[in-house]
Amino acid sequence: MRKIQRQTLLGIRDQMGSYAWEDAEIDELVDPKLGIITGFQDLLDQLEQLRRIDLESIPPAGDISRP
Amino acid sequence: MKPGLAYASITELRHLLQAGDVNALQLVELYAERIARHGEISKAFISLDLEAARDKAQARQPCADATPALDGIPYACKDLFDVAGQVTTGGSKVLQGNVAERDAVAVAALNRAGAIYLGKNNLHEFAYGATGENTLYGTAPNPYDHARLAGGSSSGSAAALGFGLCAAALGTDTGGSVRAPAALCGLVGFKPTFGRVSTEGVVPYSWTLDHVGTLTRSAGDAATVFRALLPTASASGESRLEGQVVGIPRGFFFERCDSEILDSIDSLMQFLREAGARLVPIDMPSMQHTRTVSLTVQMPEALSYHNRYLEERGELYSQDFRAGLALGQCLLAEQYIRAKRFIESYRREMAVIFAGVDTILTPTTPVIAPVIGAVEVSVDGVGEPAGNAITRYTSFFNMTGHPAITLPCGMHSAGLPIGAQLIGRHHADEALLDLASRIETDYAFKLPLPDLP
Repeated sequence: MRKIQRQTLLGIRDQMGSYAWEDAEIDELVDPKLGIITGFQDLLDQLEQLRRIDLESIPPAGDISRP
Repeated sequence: MKPGLAYASITELRHLLQAGDVNALQLVELYAERIARHGEISKAFISLDLEAARDKAQARQPCADATPALDGIPYACKDLFDVAGQVTTGGSKVLQGNVAERDAVAVAALNRAGAIYLGKNNLHEFAYGATGENTLYGTAPNPYDHARLAGGSSSGSAAALGFGLCAAALGTDTGGSVRAPAALCGLVGFKPTFGRVSTEGVVPYSWTLDHVGTLTRSAGDAATVFRALLPTASASGESRLEGQVVGIPRGFFFERCDSEILDSIDSLMQFLREAGARLVPIDMPSMQHTRTVSLTVQMPEALSYHNRYLEERGELYSQDFRAGLALGQCLLAEQYIRAKRFIESYRREMAVIFAGVDTILTPTTPVIAPVIGAVEVSVDGVGEPAGNAITRYTSFFNMTGHPAITLPCGMHSAGLPIGAQLIGRHHADEALLDLASRIETDYAFKLPLPDLP
């Protein structure tokens, strides 16, 4: 997987019905400076690891029913 | 009035109210006077409704035979809960002028139980963060050291109890936002089983992870408030420590943890052994990706809710929250679904573990309350963002949805409280509360009160 590009995120913003994030906010995802959340690239790298784990037929979590 | 009344438990206050030694109006005036004295420094409240509280207290009709569980007990709630006729701000400029038409389900339940609403507590904006830092309403300090954090996101709720400004508070817990500030401030914080207490009328952060929780001075009080929130709940009748099987996780939950916190948990474990509990080591699911899984669910859900305000009020959000929402925009649907499938896999692994234990014990936080403004904290030479550290041992149980409670169990040499976290089986909230109450009574750990004027 290649590194996320600023242009990719601008494309999501401009071509996929997204809220009109400011350029600075898109820049923050590509090159994080606030340090509040994991840098987006780090998160994507970890999600790529998760993608490679076979969850068999486990469904998404729902309500917790009484035993 | 009795010295220390502002720090009395609900149980003690009920005895005094029923005996006629104090009345509800005197309690409201006591807390009102303390709010006037400590409100500015504690930054615990965003808004107050003291006149209505006085009116309700005056109208109270004591009835010895069928006294509601919280009759005459003053409480506060995090400013995510709707209270009819009051503004719900979420700790943000975005919702200023947002007057609620009706009470949140949890607020209505406490009011029905006779509790007296005092006001709304400060928080990390829209619960997005565990430090409780809020540029608009200020950052609630720790009652034991005002240079340190109360913790968050239910920062004002913890500060309100810590500064003796109310008898109980409602908070929300999406990754530890009730338990962590409770632990850092020497309180009891309880997060029931996911979905057990309604979140209706509460500004959401993440529907998959949000829990309504309580902050109180004792586990007994947590049980009282829980039963008021959920009148069908009752005592489990099983609070003996003898024969309890307590799981002690290997690895993660005891790693990169302050050594004095570990010592306090060791002392509690020793007490449990001597009381006849059986402590068994357990292997928890891998924690390697849990933060990623949690974030991948949180941010698209937060964006989905806040989308309704972004177009017209987007510039009113804080910069860091906007960055988080932008991240939520850029994740793929399959990544979100996969994260929710991981949550289900965690729940299944935990079901196997809970087949062999009654409860699980961990430290609540690996660190004591960080200094206000600290970006990172360091344990064993490893730096970590303060907010991540505060919730490192709590957030997993928001994904699994198990009931969890924190109890004070020690005092750090830095003069700050230490909390122990107990986790119970799904829907065994009553048993967990009864067990925590038993530990509280028998362990008899006594936290000193904060040194306030």
